[in-house]
Amino acid sequence: MASQKIGVFVCRCGGNISDYVDVEKVVESIKGVEGVKIARVNMFSCSDSAQEEMIGLIKREGLDGIVIASCSPKLHLNTFRQMAQRAGLNPYQYTQVNIREQCSWTHTHDRDGATQKATRLVRAGIEATRHSEPLHPIEVVTRPSVLVVGAGIGGLRAAIALGEMGLTVHLLEKADRPGGLVGTRKALFPTGADGTSEIDSLLQRIHTLQNISLYTNASLVKKEGSIGDFSVSIRVEPKDGQDRADTIQLNVGAILVTTGATPYVPKEGEYGYGAKGIVTLREFLDLLDSSRDSDGIYYEGKRVRRITYIYCVGSRQKEGHTYCSRFCCSSAIFASLEVHKRSPDVLQYHLYRDIRTYGSLEALYQRALDQGSLFIRFSPDSPPKVECGHNGGGIKVLVKDLLTSKRELEISSDLVVLVTGLVPRVEQQEVQDVLKLPVGIDGFFNEIHPKLRPVETVVAGVYIGGCAQGPKNAQESVESSLGAAAKAGSILLKGKVELEPFVAEVDEGLCDGCGQCVEACPYDAITMGQRSDGTPVAVVNTRLCKGEGACVPVCPKEALEIRGYGHEKIRSMIRGLLTE
Amino acid sequence: MKTRLQVDCLVVGGGISGMESAITLGDMGFDVLLVEKEASIGGKMILLSKVFPTLDCSSCISTPKMASTYNHPKVTSFTYSEVRSIKRGPNGAFEAKVIKRPTFVDPERCTGCGQCEKVCTVARPDQFNDGLIARRAIYIPFPQAVPKKAVVEKKGVSPCTRSCPAGISVHGMVALVRNGRFDRAYSRHLEDAPFVGSLGHLCPAYCEMKCTQGKKSKIPVGIKGIERALGYWHLKNGGDKTPSKSGEKRFGIVGVGPLALSLAYFLAQKGVRPLIFTQGKRLGGSLLDAVEKGLLPKEILEDDINTILAQGVEQKDSPENTPFDALLEQNGLEGLFIEDPVRAKESERERIFSSPLKLDEPHLLPHIIGVARKISGPIEKFLEKGEYSLPEDAFKGLEGEISIQEPQGHNEELLPEEAQGLASRCLDCAVCSQCHECMKACPANAIDFSMEPEEVSVTTKTIIIATGFSLFDPSKKPLLGYDRLPNVITAMQMDRLLAPTRPYNAVLRPSDGKVPGNIAIVLCAGSRDRTAGNTWCSRICCMYSIKQAQLIMGALPIANVTIYYIDIRAFGKGYEEFFQQAKAMGTNFVKGKVARIEPTANDDLYIYYEDMERKGGLRRQKHDLVVLAVGAMASPQLRKAFMGDDAPDVDEMAFFSQSKGLSEPGVTNIEGVFVAGSATGPRDIPDCVVHANACAAQVASYLKKTEKG
Ligand SMILES: Cc1cc2nc3c(=O)[nH]c(=O)nc-3n(C[C@H](O)[C@H](O)[C@H](O)COP(=O)(O)OP(=O)(O)OC[C@H]3O[C@@H](n4cnc5c(N)ncnc54)[C@H](O)[C@@H]3O)c2cc1C
Ligand code: SF4
Ligand code: SF4
Ligand code: SF4
Ligand code: SF4
Repeated sequence: MASQKIGVFVCRCGGNISDYVDVEKVVESIKGVEGVKIARVNMFSCSDSAQEEMIGLIKREGLDGIVIASCSPKLHLNTFRQMAQRAGLNPYQYTQVNIREQCSWTHTHDRDGATQKATRLVRAGIEATRHSEPLHPIEVVTRPSVLVVGAGIGGLRAAIALGEMGLTVHLLEKADRPGGLVGTRKALFPTGADGTSEIDSLLQRIHTLQNISLYTNASLVKKEGSIGDFSVSIRVEPKDGQDRADTIQLNVGAILVTTGATPYVPKEGEYGYGAKGIVTLREFLDLLDSSRDSDGIYYEGKRVRRITYIYCVGSRQKEGHTYCSRFCCSSAIFASLEVHKRSPDVLQYHLYRDIRTYGSLEALYQRALDQGSLFIRFSPDSPPKVECGHNGGGIKVLVKDLLTSKRELEISSDLVVLVTGLVPRVEQQEVQDVLKLPVGIDGFFNEIHPKLRPVETVVAGVYIGGCAQGPKNAQESVESSLGAAAKAGSILLKGKVELEPFVAEVDEGLCDGCGQCVEACPYDAITMGQRSDGTPVAVVNTRLCKGEGACVPVCPKEALEIRGYGHEKIRSMIRGLLTE
Repeated sequence: MKTRLQVDCLVVGGGISGMESAITLGDMGFDVLLVEKEASIGGKMILLSKVFPTLDCSSCISTPKMASTYNHPKVTSFTYSEVRSIKRGPNGAFEAKVIKRPTFVDPERCTGCGQCEKVCTVARPDQFNDGLIARRAIYIPFPQAVPKKAVVEKKGVSPCTRSCPAGISVHGMVALVRNGRFDRAYSRHLEDAPFVGSLGHLCPAYCEMKCTQGKKSKIPVGIKGIERALGYWHLKNGGDKTPSKSGEKRFGIVGVGPLALSLAYFLAQKGVRPLIFTQGKRLGGSLLDAVEKGLLPKEILEDDINTILAQGVEQKDSPENTPFDALLEQNGLEGLFIEDPVRAKESERERIFSSPLKLDEPHLLPHIIGVARKISGPIEKFLEKGEYSLPEDAFKGLEGEISIQEPQGHNEELLPEEAQGLASRCLDCAVCSQCHECMKACPANAIDFSMEPEEVSVTTKTIIIATGFSLFDPSKKPLLGYDRLPNVITAMQMDRLLAPTRPYNAVLRPSDGKVPGNIAIVLCAGSRDRTAGNTWCSRICCMYSIKQAQLIMGALPIANVTIYYIDIRAFGKGYEEFFQQAKAMGTNFVKGKVARIEPTANDDLYIYYEDMERKGGLRRQKHDLVVLAVGAMASPQLRKAFMGDDAPDVDEMAFFSQSKGLSEPGVTNIEGVFVAGSATGPRDIPDCVVHANACAAQVASYLKKTEKG
């Protein structure tokens, strides 16, 4: 009962496709293909009006399958499936062919080639639809509970939101106390809010919510299952008096990763780091925090009169940490305002590349300028040099000032602050391994799409928030963690999710129980069971199966197929591709 | 019309932030109403070309959001609507009054075909192209609009039209003539009133006295000249003599003056068969005197009268003393109108009507036509139902001495082209001119000018403000020359030039359509600048400019692009890398503050800037197109809807404040009122999406908490 009346729509994507692919020609060349009832060009297939038009056509022409040749299915597979559904079709009788990323954008200088490739891909798509069968998603009842990994400000705040939504929350913290980076700070930019008391008040709220459990000294060791219904194991390190770690099994519907980031630690000797008088931003903030009431700035008992800040240490590098750490300009400038408040006579030099006090944070920069801080711009090609004084003498910083002249300036300083950025935590690795989460070249967890799905990961049901996704300031970490909480909440409050029906199926008549598939499956979704006569046969656990298909080619009997991607379908798709 | 609606959350603003919050809350199972003031949802994002840092096509990633918002089972979307007032109700919920502005297009019928736009006579700067090109008074916002339906921008009635005693759609006539459609202008005039050419000679031109252009520049639009030109045009070209619907009922009119003729005309239009009894006189009455005096050319009057007769008006010469009863009986008439009120007194009988005043003077022509129209309605009703009642105001202002200026100006012939020149000065006061071209063109019969605003009373537990930001108006920095220099454009205009739905299908400069070869982008235009009243950084402009530089270099491979900057603020995930990529592609980055922009020959431009890096000092550089990276400003208008003290706080730049500290993003000082996205301050799309979801989490927590009580 394959599709016989197929509608094919080839998208111009404004000009994104039609500038490089002759879409009219593609339509012409597939018009006679078996099963194709109509073939058309669309301006923007995804636009509401084009969708309405296609729905009209499907109904009027009685189409029973469609192919849309447009952008990546990552973007619009769901859009068009929903459209197919609104038109009364089974959504799985729709095939999306990607002729944008795969043709127009990859072959911008070869219109003929791009057009030919597009035609072949569309042919394969038609075959896919022709051999498709109506399928139904697997419905999973979601568990109304969430695992939040990492109890920094983001994780804490997300836990509260989820708890208030009525969900059960298990909040995991690797360290022996919650609070993360914010928990140790006395004054946070831009308002000077006290991080310690901010964390305390979040903890108080957590304690009043009965449905949140907090585990410290705990780590995630295992995860099984999929969105809506995960089982996880956490290991809680022994407390005093205990000698064995506890392992706790939990069932949750979603997982939030809010494991944060950690300050960059300069290498020994990087800008003189390691020597006396040369501190990182974090160490400098600690110094300010620990001497809140003093009116001057003291370093190792000596009054500090000149401070030089060197920005972008460990950030914006040519190699390695190439990214900007986002918070450090504002943080350093905010610290310098505090210095000025305590002792206005301290001379402060800021050696920077660009000052990135974006948005309203610019007000901090303005204030620092108004108060007489000196800003000196250096080029990454000739970074400042730090020369440590011998036997107790001051530190000399040499810098080529780009703004006034390229002459080298010599700044003698009592204290040099290396404005260090943020890097991924080492502890992140175990979460990465257990959850199989991808990271970017910067080492932070990757979202699916920075605009469409900024807190979702490729592992459905696992969300990321805060600095685990990339550097942020405290408020921004809260925002993105709450964003992740919203997305988790949106599937769990609904009570059910639909999973793709693409799972492996065993043809019991063919399976001879050799067990090769069991080895091949990376998700342990296949086990050896028994037929009624006692002979062994492979059994698929559909809850664990991801439809990845590793089992299919290893089966010597062709007894395994992924539902919706049968052998016949794949073969005719290949034939479609090869047709001239 | 009034309706009621009850929801969990009212989201104001349908940009990416509003849509994102609405979808997330809808997914959670809450009922959401989204109100957008424009005719489509999508906000600024749908207008952008590609977006940093991934260079996704903005249309491609916005349209699915728009479609899922609009089709979401839990989300109701009102476009072209506004929130008029928000009050706290007795049980803590809010009572909001939402007005759905009339679109004058029936959305059920409109198919979005765009035929109406092609014929519309009024052009407006297109807000969806930042004024780069024009749209029409009736318009579909943009090709990917959701919903894709036409709307008419109509602001009341233009002063000219309102002032015309003859009830002519003056603005419509002017707009049609401006577009060179004389035939349509003539017939549009006829839809309202006869005597086109005669009015163009005799009318004292009340419209010109009220014309806004006259108030602005002392010289009104030469409307009377336009009307006169139409008369001459018709004299030469003829046309439009098709009689209107021909009916059964016959009605007699005794008299030959303009009142008699106009009444006959209007009745004929209504499907009555009028019969004029000339009683030995020539048709025209006092208008013939005007011809005698040289105020009105004979041929013009004859043409006007022929036009009236062509509508199916018959005439009969009966002896002057025939009693009215006899006229009625002998001709099988259902009624009779006597033009001269003195003569009408002879007989006070049923079925015989007249005007209470004697109205027959050439310069009263527009009033006479107006009176005729007002009488024609009741007569039609009498013929149908047997009742007759004149509206009270039928003769308002006509009793006693009417102070009318004598016809002034010139009465000579005007050529169509000259009239077109006159019409081009019209300011389109009410925007839609009521030319009715769209009604004739619409294949779906969707246009309906009788539509009224609809008021919806909404009860909602929470409100999300997602009204976004506005762009800095570069004319506030005159030294940058935006108003003076055509080739100085805004970044939004540049994004439009680069977008897939771009207006010219190429990157061109406005003054001469030349492809630019040396483009400058000036950062911080209206940001970080005390003199511009905005000391903050706008946060998005560095990045969108870097994006534009890359896109320009893709579109125009040989063009040079220079970015003048103070600091490059590439702070988000992947942004620094994106900046480095632009550098590697060859974008020039010049650290320099631009002081002013001056023109050179051939519309090129000199940028004067303070060089902060290379040689220092004030330097000058030539470019052929300059893009101002205008900053993001607050758009706090919604505050007005909140009553009194209950308005949410704004910060020193007028953005909505998140008053509850660092752990409570999206929460305002008013319980139950939240704020999402760039309404809190400038933000790019990734930051808006994240923030909008955070805001949805706040709303969900709040709703669940209050549910429990
Ligand atoms: C030239 C330019 C280029 C850009 N390029 C990029 C880019 O490449 N990448 C990127 O990430 N960002 C970019 N941005 C920024 C991006 O446009 C914004 O981040 C985003 O549009 C903000 O979305 P929003 O929904 O918060 O606000 P908006 O897009 O402003 O939406 C607000 C909506 O609310 C409606 N509204 C306002 N007031 C009311 C009211 N009283 N009642 C009802 N409705 C109301 C408006 O009509 C609008 O639809 C760019 C901006 C500009 C100006
Ligand atoms: S012509 Fe009619 S149907 Fe077509 S867009 Fe205009 S109003 Fe809608
Ligand atoms: S009546 Fe005329 S001016 Fe008004 S929208 Fe229609 S075509 Fe445009
Ligand atoms: S400017 Fe145009 S629309 Fe306005 S009053 Fe004058 S003629 Fe009428
Ligand atoms: S984002 Fe860049 S261009 Fe925009 S105001 Fe800030 S520094 Fe200036």
